[in-house]
Amino acid sequence: MLLRLDNLQRHFGGVKAVDGVSLEVEKGSIHGLIGPNGAGKTTLVNVITGYVRTQAGQAWLEGDRLTGLPAHRIAGLGVARTFQNIRLFGDLSALENVMIGMHTRLGDDTVAQLATLPFFRRDQRAHLNDAHRLMETVGLDPGDVGRRAAGQLPYGDQRRLEIARALALRPRLLILDEPAAGMNPSEKQGVRELIERLNADGLTILLIDHDMRLVMGVCRRVSVLNFGRKIADGEPHEVSTDPGVIKAYLGSGAEKEAVSAPGTTEVREVERATRRSARRGAEPEEAILDVQKMWVSYGAINAVRGVSLRVAAGEVVALIGANGAGKSTILNALSGLVPIAGGTAVFDGLDLTNAKPSTIVRRGLVQVPEGREILGRQTVLENLELATWPRRDRAAAQRETEAVMRRFPILGERRQLRASTLSGGERQLLAIARGLLAKPRLLLLDEPSLGLAPQMVDEVFSAIGEIHRDGTTILLVEQNALRALEIADRAYVLETGQVQLTGGGQDLLHDPAVRQAYLGG
Amino acid sequence: MDFILQLFNDPVAFYQTHTLLIAEIGINSILAVSMFVVLYSGQLSLAAPGFMAIGAYTSVLMGNYWNTPLPLNLLVGTLFAGVVGLAVGLPVLRVRGVFLAIATIGFIEALSLGVILNLPITGEGLGLKNPTADPIGGINIVLGSVAVIVFVLWRLTKGRLGRAWEAIRQDELAALSQGIDVGRYKLIAFILSALIAGFAGGLESHLNFFVDPTEYGVTRTVQVLTFAVLGGSGNVFGPVVGALFLTTLPEIVRVPNFDYRDVISGAILILVIVFRPQGIVGRGGLAIIRPRWWPKARSAASPG
Amino acid sequence: MGQQVLNAIFIGSIYALFAVGYTLVFGVLDILNLAHSAVFMLGAAVTYSLVVNYNQSFVVAAVLGIAACAFMGLVIEYVCLRPLRRRRAPPIAALISTIGLALIIVAAVEQGRPGSFFAWLWVDGANSVRFPPNMLPNPTWHVAGLTLEATKVAVVPITLALMLVLGYVIRFTQFGRGLRAVAENPRAASLMGLDVDRMIALTVVLSSALGGVAGILFGLALSDISPYIGRDSLEIRGLAVIVLGGMGSVPGAVVGGYLLGLIEVLALVQFGSNVHAGVAFAALFLMLVLRPQGLFGAQLHERL
Repeated sequence: MLLRLDNLQRHFGGVKAVDGVSLEVEKGSIHGLIGPNGAGKTTLVNVITGYVRTQAGQAWLEGDRLTGLPAHRIAGLGVARTFQNIRLFGDLSALENVMIGMHTRLGDDTVAQLATLPFFRRDQRAHLNDAHRLMETVGLDPGDVGRRAAGQLPYGDQRRLEIARALALRPRLLILDEPAAGMNPSEKQGVRELIERLNADGLTILLIDHDMRLVMGVCRRVSVLNFGRKIADGEPHEVSTDPGVIKAYLGSGAEKEAVSAPGTTEVREVERATRRSARRGAEPEEAILDVQKMWVSYGAINAVRGVSLRVAAGEVVALIGANGAGKSTILNALSGLVPIAGGTAVFDGLDLTNAKPSTIVRRGLVQVPEGREILGRQTVLENLELATWPRRDRAAAQRETEAVMRRFPILGERRQLRASTLSGGERQLLAIARGLLAKPRLLLLDEPSLGLAPQMVDEVFSAIGEIHRDGTTILLVEQNALRALEIADRAYVLETGQVQLTGGGQDLLHDPAVRQAYLGG
Repeated sequence: MDFILQLFNDPVAFYQTHTLLIAEIGINSILAVSMFVVLYSGQLSLAAPGFMAIGAYTSVLMGNYWNTPLPLNLLVGTLFAGVVGLAVGLPVLRVRGVFLAIATIGFIEALSLGVILNLPITGEGLGLKNPTADPIGGINIVLGSVAVIVFVLWRLTKGRLGRAWEAIRQDELAALSQGIDVGRYKLIAFILSALIAGFAGGLESHLNFFVDPTEYGVTRTVQVLTFAVLGGSGNVFGPVVGALFLTTLPEIVRVPNFDYRDVISGAILILVIVFRPQGIVGRGGLAIIRPRWWPKARSAASPG
Repeated sequence: MGQQVLNAIFIGSIYALFAVGYTLVFGVLDILNLAHSAVFMLGAAVTYSLVVNYNQSFVVAAVLGIAACAFMGLVIEYVCLRPLRRRRAPPIAALISTIGLALIIVAAVEQGRPGSFFAWLWVDGANSVRFPPNMLPNPTWHVAGLTLEATKVAVVPITLALMLVLGYVIRFTQFGRGLRAVAENPRAASLMGLDVDRMIALTVVLSSALGGVAGILFGLALSDISPYIGRDSLEIRGLAVIVLGGMGSVPGAVVGGYLLGLIEVLALVQFGSNVHAGVAFAALFLMLVLRPQGLFGAQLHERL
């Protein structure tokens, strides 16, 4: 065993982020760590690498105890990692980034530096060659890419560079945190090959990712986390057919479906509380939201590449796709939080391209954001009142607030309590209620089921169904693809910033290609 | 204008008539380097004048009371500043960003108002007389020191230490993941900065017949900060260029009845920070392209 | 001793009012507005000028003085803060740009002499002046061995009233709710349709107006108006107050203000008049090291 974790525990406030996790990583293997968002994967990695103290339990790297050591010492022992959100040294060149990775292996060169004349020295050349080789290993050209500022590199190169920098430590264990997020299939294939190559050379790798095809494809063993606990641990095919795992990832609806072997064309009826009748999947003529070839970028990353979509009044439209596909970015661009780099987006006659967020909301385009963004320090009532803030007619606003609290009784009960005391599911309801109070003509829902227990997911989706029946138009972004497709009239499937598929909700629900994308076939 | 003409036509005479100015440029350059060290390692420490004061008073007091030679005075003054640097730097390691700036302001003011103004030995509010000052001869020491200090820092930033500092400045957490002992390197930078500032203080006191306790407060620190902001702290030459420019500007351009220095400094701070935060020199020489100085406020979040 | 305690209460009120301005801006923007002390001074200076040079009554002068400060708040927002927000610059950038503006404001007043460019604003240059003695009725009472001047005494109820009104506004009004929302989560606020930029501008204007009031009261109660009252007397103390009380917390600023006044008095009694200022900064330093969030502030740490 290279890495042994024994009953690690870490909680923050009331939340048990890591709740007694034990696992072992075999030397020379690739071990996968998966789980829904919020399951505790990154916290676990932070514990292993020393960024966060564990409150119980131990971690061992072969004979060396990791628990209690500071992060830089653990790195020095040979545990290298990449970060979910890419933490490169942006203003330094790619080569310099890699050379910083070599820090622990180089001796102190102060005296040598001072004694030297500023001419090229042999040692420097050797280190530089090392850095060159590392870049080549990950598939980057040291001559060209090497000299560019890391922050200016295209996204795929940045991910590779982070790996090169981690390799510079000559680690015993390499932890990759979502190394292929946001990549298109061919880029992902490249990362997959890289991982396999590195492993073939003897490097033990702990891989965290959401892409099932990738994880199940390269890993020898896979551990699954949910709500801070390990719920499965075994070989890929065992894990991918484990009912508990399927439930965690897809929600209870799909449980029955997946009992039959995945990838078959046989289809089972799924019982749902809200059922949409199958509709034609064609795009509507009249649309209140019309997006044409929209491009959105975060710095060097093109998160959204030429996406077109339309939403007609009264519809529920779903945007589904893996993490990193660009779904939330689209919503943020529509809400005016992120600039639209190209293409057009028009909502009810309002050009969204340069509009201010407050203007957009007043027009009726309201977002319930991922992560809810409620104000924890304020009471439930105050949170709701935030939605009616711009309104003049206070009496009407009050009436509507009361109405919303009647529809979501749990909010009415808790109205004077601080929002931070609500559970995840309750907060989601609060966020939705707040969104409703803003009188939306189009409601954008970003990952409403994120981090919620399956039962709460039922409640939330039932609420969404109700809202829709009352006439609200909804654009829904969901990781939980099957749930989303069940209630959607139409859906768009996104991958790496582009629309891959579109069609009616029920059609896509039974489409084997979609199914395969979510369970790895 | 004749200022510039003289510089080019008759450098020797220029040197002789403007010795004091050149010495001032030298001292300010050393101070600028002291600021550079902490900024380069990502610490907004405004403590330089405090360490200057320690260097100045220690050095002059030694000379006055024990008649020790100048090199010894400067050495002890510098070392004492370094020791205080350790004492201050250690507890503030965990203090970040704006808070560090405030803490260091607190330090220099506490030193000025609490200590210097109250110790009889420092002459309290009246300052300290320095009969052995040598404004003319001292300039050689100043220029020599500038050369040495700039060279040393230049080499350091090119080596492993400099890279570690750069990494820390960009992203402390990522630096940790590469095995860099962030706390240790920050402390090294802090102490080094204290040593350099202490030395500058000692040197400056040698050039004046009088040590003025009001010279070591917030005004001074803002001045030094302006050197670094104007010149940019991407490399060691930036702040030096800033110091050179700002020290000579009042000599070149004179406006009647108006001491415009502060207005210019203020305007420079605003304009540079808003429009060209990496300063004149930017990173790695006179940068024509514009590298971003600040790490991205939103790290490259995985899209979607 | 009793007299000193009284002074502590008066001055504590002013510290508190001043610090509330700092903390409002920090709470909403997470930045430290170092031009605040210059605005404080501007309030006093403009009011004085209007009374003495333009023959206005105190009330008119004070109102206009506060208006001038409010306007300066707009300048701060549009020149120093908003461009940096657009660029998503880190908070330190705003620290530097506001320092720059403060330099300019202080220099403008300092350079105000008869015949100079700024004479319309101020003609007393670097001098320290006071309001004319008979500007306001100022009865003095002697009670229990203590001397109570009306102007000094009036400071307390005025500041308390202002802070109560502010507290009410923040807690119970529409504007206050919007302010708290922006302070806690600007993204959520903008998603709900609040114009975040406008709220920020209003906050800075409000904060500057309060700073101006504090300045006028300072000039009145302490009979000291000069270009340097902000920078030398209040700025550091304001920082100490918000550090003690917790950044971003209005009650913290109030409590901290009186606490600092008290600490200074105790130090004065214990150590004599010179050390007490230094004690304040030592307290600031310790607080930052041990408990950076202050008494009422929230924990701050970076998410990985």
